[in-house]
Amino acid sequence: MSPVIQHQRRSLPAYPAPLSHSRWKLWPGLTIAAALIVLSLAGLGALVWEAELPGLSEFWSNRYLRTVVTFTIWQAFLSVVLSLLVAFPVARILARQPAFPGRAFLLRLMELSLVLPSIVLVSGIISVYGRQGWFTGLANEWLGTSWNLYGINGIVLAHVFFNAPLAARILLQAIESAPASQRRVAAQLGLGRWWYWRAVEWPAVKPVLPGLAALVFTLCFTSFAIVMTLGGGPAATTIEVAIYQSLRFEFDAGQAALLAMVQLVICGFFWWLAARHGLTASLLPDRRVASHRSKAGSSIWARLGDGTALAVFVLFLVTPLMAILLRGLPGMGSAFFPDGTFSVNPALLDATLRSLGIAIPAGLMSVIAALLILASGTSQSRPTITRLSDVAAYLPLMVPPLVLGTGLFLLFRPSLGNSSEGLALVTLINAMMALPFVLQMLRGPMGSLDSASRMQADQLGVLGWYRWRWLHWPRMRRPLALAMAYGTGLSLGDFGVIALFGSPGQPTLPVLLYQQLGSYRIDAAAATGLWLVLLLLMLFSLFNRLGSPLFNSGLAPKSSRTVPEPEHA
Amino acid sequence: MLNRAFTLFLFTLFSVPASAEKASTLTIYTHPSFAAEWGPGPAVKAAFEQSCDCQINYVVLDSGGDILQRLRLEGESTEADLVLGLDTGTMETTRQTGLLANHDTDLSALSLPIDWQDPVFVPYDWGYFAFVYDTEQLPEPPKSLEALISAPDDLKIIIQDPRTSTPGLGLLLWMRHVYGDQASEKWQQLKGKILTTTKSWSDGYFSLFMNGEAPMILSYSTSPAYHMAVDKTDRYQAAEFEEGHYLQVEVAALVKSSDQKELGQAFLDFMLSEDFQRHIPLKNVMYPATDLGDELPAVFDKLIQPSDALYFDPKTVTDNRRTWLNEWLDAMTR
Amino acid sequence: MLEVQNLVFAYPGQETPWNFQFSAEPGHCIAIHGASGSGKSTLMNLLAGFLEPQSGDILWQGKSLRHAAPWQRPMTSVFQEHNLFEHLSVTANIGLGIHPGLKLAPEDTQAIERGLDSVGLSGFGQRLPSDLSGGQRQRVALLRAILRKQPLMLLDEPLTGLDREARDLLRQLLLQQKAQGALIVLASHDEEDRRILADSVCTL
Repeated sequence: MSPVIQHQRRSLPAYPAPLSHSRWKLWPGLTIAAALIVLSLAGLGALVWEAELPGLSEFWSNRYLRTVVTFTIWQAFLSVVLSLLVAFPVARILARQPAFPGRAFLLRLMELSLVLPSIVLVSGIISVYGRQGWFTGLANEWLGTSWNLYGINGIVLAHVFFNAPLAARILLQAIESAPASQRRVAAQLGLGRWWYWRAVEWPAVKPVLPGLAALVFTLCFTSFAIVMTLGGGPAATTIEVAIYQSLRFEFDAGQAALLAMVQLVICGFFWWLAARHGLTASLLPDRRVASHRSKAGSSIWARLGDGTALAVFVLFLVTPLMAILLRGLPGMGSAFFPDGTFSVNPALLDATLRSLGIAIPAGLMSVIAALLILASGTSQSRPTITRLSDVAAYLPLMVPPLVLGTGLFLLFRPSLGNSSEGLALVTLINAMMALPFVLQMLRGPMGSLDSASRMQADQLGVLGWYRWRWLHWPRMRRPLALAMAYGTGLSLGDFGVIALFGSPGQPTLPVLLYQQLGSYRIDAAAATGLWLVLLLLMLFSLFNRLGSPLFNSGLAPKSSRTVPEPEHA
Repeated sequence: MLNRAFTLFLFTLFSVPASAEKASTLTIYTHPSFAAEWGPGPAVKAAFEQSCDCQINYVVLDSGGDILQRLRLEGESTEADLVLGLDTGTMETTRQTGLLANHDTDLSALSLPIDWQDPVFVPYDWGYFAFVYDTEQLPEPPKSLEALISAPDDLKIIIQDPRTSTPGLGLLLWMRHVYGDQASEKWQQLKGKILTTTKSWSDGYFSLFMNGEAPMILSYSTSPAYHMAVDKTDRYQAAEFEEGHYLQVEVAALVKSSDQKELGQAFLDFMLSEDFQRHIPLKNVMYPATDLGDELPAVFDKLIQPSDALYFDPKTVTDNRRTWLNEWLDAMTR
Repeated sequence: MLEVQNLVFAYPGQETPWNFQFSAEPGHCIAIHGASGSGKSTLMNLLAGFLEPQSGDILWQGKSLRHAAPWQRPMTSVFQEHNLFEHLSVTANIGLGIHPGLKLAPEDTQAIERGLDSVGLSGFGQRLPSDLSGGQRQRVALLRAILRKQPLMLLDEPLTGLDREARDLLRQLLLQQKAQGALIVLASHDEEDRRILADSVCTL
């Protein structure tokens, strides 16, 4: 052993990191949150300004409006419970069966369900569960039951289809980030399923549960298109639907604003409850050395049981998609091979490009905004303000887009001239609407830097940009790619915002779909719907590819084992 | 100030050069079924631009209701020179905004089931609301509104919400016209047969009716013309009801604040010419507002010919819509 | 010279606060000794700036560090474990100590390679920490501390749980550092560590 390490000592770190001042961490996120609050209040305020607010007593004495409020809460509650009941077992099975053929594809499908445009999905659900549906036929013949889709059945079914996969995805992420030490101990003890659940899975899932439940509740509470088609009639109406109805022909701005406030108060209450338990997924260290399979998932019978349960879930997810495929195929011919040779229908091509032109920037904006908000949340100096900014990010879910849209239109109309400004506004609002989901996807991974690593990074001066580049970015490639896919996908399938601010003369894909429907072009519409689904599937695959470690560059370690980043696929 | 900053921000995001415009441009607010590539809009635009040194600029809004909404929101500052695509359900409310101007179009060429002498609105097409049925599922459709209402509850129909959809509002007025104050009770009898109430006509037609979910849907008496002429199928037909059918007329009007009034007036006149009207039957799937003679496609002869055209004066509709809607709501949620 | 003056700290709910006071010269090693829970790690975290004292001061070369952020203090910490960023290679882990943005000059990379040779980890540069044994990981952590060239080294049980060979090697390295003028604050409950490395012992 010879002394080879010799050098002069230096007294202070000589390389300050760019953007390392704490203001860079706090203020951008807070500014975005403040902008969200201001925008929401401005939209609502403009409506209130436009019309007198009816009195609350008048509101409560209206039997119909009371029915609407109670029905909205009831169906949202049922949807949350059922979605979680489906999501828990699915997430657990997926966690204990980390390698089976088709697992990655199943995860893609689960991601897809949330972003499917509801009109397309509803047509798929009707093909399966409607009066002439495949499922209904089987149920009537074999079980002798008479299943009726229309009414609360259909609403809750469609909500479970939308939300259970999302919930399962988030729960899976939480279970997979359970501390290695716990899993190791559990594996050594050979815990049975119940004890494994108690010792490992439940503690991992518990912190994400309040936020997840609030998210699903809000989504179902504000549901619109599903309720309008499957609800059956005015007896099954949500607040969001009632707002649409009161603005449509009557332009009853007062009632709309009041309903919006009721919605805001109820959803805001749930978010406040969730935030009290902490929205932050957890600060569990993710120092996993290797994955330890629990004993619970390895026996033949266990695997058979898991396989059957998953097969049922897959069937639930895939059958409506198959129906969309079967309906769309006849029209694909004229969309892509109008004269026997391949050439895309120009209207479809334009709409596709326009949709992507809106969706990709919107996705990017939502991801950046989410990161900035999360960054301001990690600076621990002002907990009340950061919690406020956290909840503000969920405002776009609670404020009805129609109210926001009409209000902003009243405010900005004189200065909104041409349609390209309209499209920019569509992009901005789409980014806003996607923000809550993107935030939910990034929250866990962003908070997963454990305290020892944070201390080391602080001392080494790995701050600001450097910390992002070397400590967060390499571990967040996958979550970021997934978040980007969600942000883009949600905007791609959007019909609500574009219908308000866009110009139907320049349709996006969902608008084109509606226009074809409105003109008896059923085959063309079905083909557009199928094309939209395929486009979404391609988008998710592409972003997943981009997020995979294969694309890692720079100081990529050449290692036999994989990088222990939070797993997402 | 905030407005300013906001617009500036949007401009920097998406700065697109404004398109060059001809000396006189006629801006028309309309809806997609008129302006879409398969609608009458493009052909009409080409024909009109040949006869004038001008350019038509369609601003496409989602529906007639949205045209009214946009006008109301924009007020005097609107860019519209002309609105096209309002109907008898929305025209009175639009008139009351005071934003529209009188026309001096000669209405004598009109051939509507009713007499039309409106100083503001010029009709360009019309049709009846009707229940369209699937002949394969329902070979023997009800012959009257009464027969439908008293049919057993396993006959399922799809209707649209009168608060959000034109045909939906049409059915409300139809029921009211036939049953007057008894409409509420009749709605309660009908309720068991309503499979679902959709937001718009297209939601119900595509997702439900064409999926075979119910054998009957509230639609237009002209819908079968499209299926016969374009889809080449006789499978979907309209059921003719003895009580008569409620009438819908689609109209256009000049905007008061327009600086292209002459051009707008010229367009309204052109609207009642054959060069405009011949595109209506198959591209808008409605009856033309003037008599096209032999040019009317043959399939239109196969459509039902209601004995009575039921029609409320638009003012009556506006005055009573809210009350009638509330009665309907009450009947349906009881 | 490092002077710790009446540094008072208590965790919430703790009845009798700690009170630390000592001083040490560059080129020396001061060992902190005490049972677990006696405040060794707390002292280390106070010195590094990870915890904020209720009162008292830390002086380095006569200047107060009381309000300096961790990255502004002339010191490097090595803990018993969790010293490395699991997703970064050995070279990157060490490199972050030299430049926080990993902007390494060729001579820095060479220094890392020479350093790895000298601790018996030639060719390990591209491996991930998870591929290394506990002893190997500590060698990397210590190498980073050394190449950071800070005058103060805070070592919290750095050799605990390592095998004989690794211990001997790391002790050699620490003695070298001391000889070159580093001031080492060593928390250890190992008698042998203290005997070989420490110039003075402070018992808590």
